[in-house]
Amino acid sequence: MTLIQLSGVNKHFGDYHALRDIDLEIQQGEFFSLLGPSGCGKTTLLRTIAGFEDVGSGSIRIDGRDMKGVGPNLRPTNMVFQSYAIFPHLSVAENVGFGLRRADMTRDEKTRAVGEALEMVGLGGYGGRAANALSGGQRQRVALARALILKPKVLLLDEPLSALDKKIREQMQVELIKLQREVGITFILVTHDQEEALVMSDRIAVMFDGGIGQMDDPETLYRRPRSKRVAQFIGMMNFLDGEVAATGTEIEVTVQGLGRCSVAAEQAPGAVAPGPVSIGIRPETLSLLFEGETTTRKEVAAVVDEVVYYGDMTYYDVRVDGIEKPLTLSMKNLIGRPVLDVGTQTRVAWDERSLVLLGH
Amino acid sequence: MRGLRIYAIAYLVFLYAPIFLLPLFAFNDADIIAFPLSGFTTHWFEELTRNAALQAAVRNSLIIAASTAVLSTILGICAARAATMADWPLKRPMMGLIMLPLVLPEIIVAVSLLVVIVQVFGLGLSNATIIAAHTLICMPFSIAVLNGAFQNLDPALEEAALDLGESRWSAFRLVILPLVMPGIISSLLISFTISLDEFIIAFFLSGANPTMPVYIWGLLRFPGQLPVVMAMGTILVALSIILLTIAELMRRRGLKRAGLKDTGGFL
Ligand SMILES: Nc1ncnc2c1ncn2[C@@H]1O[C@H](COP(=O)(O)OP(=O)(O)OP(=O)(O)O)[C@@H](O)[C@H]1O
Ligand SMILES: [Mg+2]
Repeated sequence: MTLIQLSGVNKHFGDYHALRDIDLEIQQGEFFSLLGPSGCGKTTLLRTIAGFEDVGSGSIRIDGRDMKGVGPNLRPTNMVFQSYAIFPHLSVAENVGFGLRRADMTRDEKTRAVGEALEMVGLGGYGGRAANALSGGQRQRVALARALILKPKVLLLDEPLSALDKKIREQMQVELIKLQREVGITFILVTHDQEEALVMSDRIAVMFDGGIGQMDDPETLYRRPRSKRVAQFIGMMNFLDGEVAATGTEIEVTVQGLGRCSVAAEQAPGAVAPGPVSIGIRPETLSLLFEGETTTRKEVAAVVDEVVYYGDMTYYDVRVDGIEKPLTLSMKNLIGRPVLDVGTQTRVAWDERSLVLLGH
Repeated sequence: MRGLRIYAIAYLVFLYAPIFLLPLFAFNDADIIAFPLSGFTTHWFEELTRNAALQAAVRNSLIIAASTAVLSTILGICAARAATMADWPLKRPMMGLIMLPLVLPEIIVAVSLLVVIVQVFGLGLSNATIIAAHTLICMPFSIAVLNGAFQNLDPALEEAALDLGESRWSAFRLVILPLVMPGIISSLLISFTISLDEFIIAFFLSGANPTMPVYIWGLLRFPGQLPVVMAMGTILVALSIILLTIAELMRRRGLKRAGLKDTGGFL
């Protein structure tokens, strides 16, 4: 069931075009992410859904209802703010119960609801604490409990994890996913961290300059980016120049340094016409061939240019004849597999099926 | 370093020594203000309670100061709030103009107000005219204090309250107001104090019933009344200290509630 529908939404701040023709449908129960570089309009889009910004043109429907002229206090949405916006003069329990002030419930019922909400986010027994005596992670949980206690149709989260350090952030990612499945509420998450978006979301909209560049599930987004910009933003990608000779169910393409290939049409998610084209290859789809190793895949001679050791992985930059920029590739550090030195002559195995054709 | 320390001590002496002289002579059993002291008396305070004109002046001053404090603070809240909201055209020049009375010579304000009230509007002089004028000169102070309080607030706090179902007004009342309360109290107190001892404007604009500073100025022509003035001053100083202490306690409580670090205060 479609829960949220945005059609042709535009928003200007003075002369600045902050949102451009946003068309978007989000399903009930979906974990949806808005991903994009700083300043691309993610927060603005989230705030128009929450009702803090009105739209210039276009419409927003939530649960079938047009939201035009409906204030944030009357929308079935709740928000977790980037700063958490915990009320500093209230206790944890008073913060969490704030939204119940107007609810038609007895005092006991409210107390119970607050207790359950705190329990849900793992803060059982913290109700009496002063809100400003909490750690960053705890404040984040209070903000979550405060928003979820109202059982909104949509929970909006504006970079809820960006203020936390890496360990807690990763732990909270998992907890948020679990929580979302448990409560079944639609989540819309704003993030500029592509890894976070890939880990958590059912679907991701990648935004650039106020518009949506691509909207897909994480795997499609990663494997079949439609443009060079999206490919650059999500994960690491090598870009090679190429020339499309013929299109059809098979696309004939000449790739710089790798020669003539034929790839399936689905490997060119953005429409590709004959002529110059950009070709993407993910580092993990390339592999080094060690001495005496053979492969059924295609191979090309290379020289190790740079080695970056990560513990579980090693990233190599290798030079291949005919390609000016070195190719980056990653290798798992399996037992018995050496880490090669800079300058080593080697071979790189690659596969036509892992090429992605991208429009310029 | 040493010079600075001496300077600081000298400064404090010059600032507070005259104030300590007030109670000294207020309880001194002599008509003239001079050393040596000649014994303890509460006579001057008793005189104070018998002087109906002085009491009327004090009552006047208190009414004017209280009204000014409330008016100036309410208007200050509106202005500070407007300043924290989104930019609107002319916002900067408007704020600049509101702050202008801070640097205008009071005598000019007084004379021009007198002309406007009497000549232009043809109104009589009364407490109301003084209240209006005092509000005018207190507003910049109120706005300066309240601006600070409002701007320290995360705008997301108000939005969070809205988001949780409260109306604009109740979001203000439940979240903003308690958090800027220390600023409000400071503003009330500052405007109250400014209005209470303001002389020039009150002198020009008071009608038949003078304010306390104007009355005291009139008393100075009768040296025999000076000790009564000293008694009056003693009460005022005591009152100020009590008020300041209350304000400071409130301020600390507010800071603690808001979870902010204490960055200095009065006491
Ligand atoms: N109230 C406003 N008035 C004017 N310009 C604004 C306003 N709010 C946002 N903008 C502008 O709109 C653009 C998008 O802002 P937005 O906050 O949506 O970006 P974002 O994608 O959330 O970025 P970030 O990752 O840095 O939070 C920015 O260029 C910003 O300067
Ligand atoms: Mg943002």
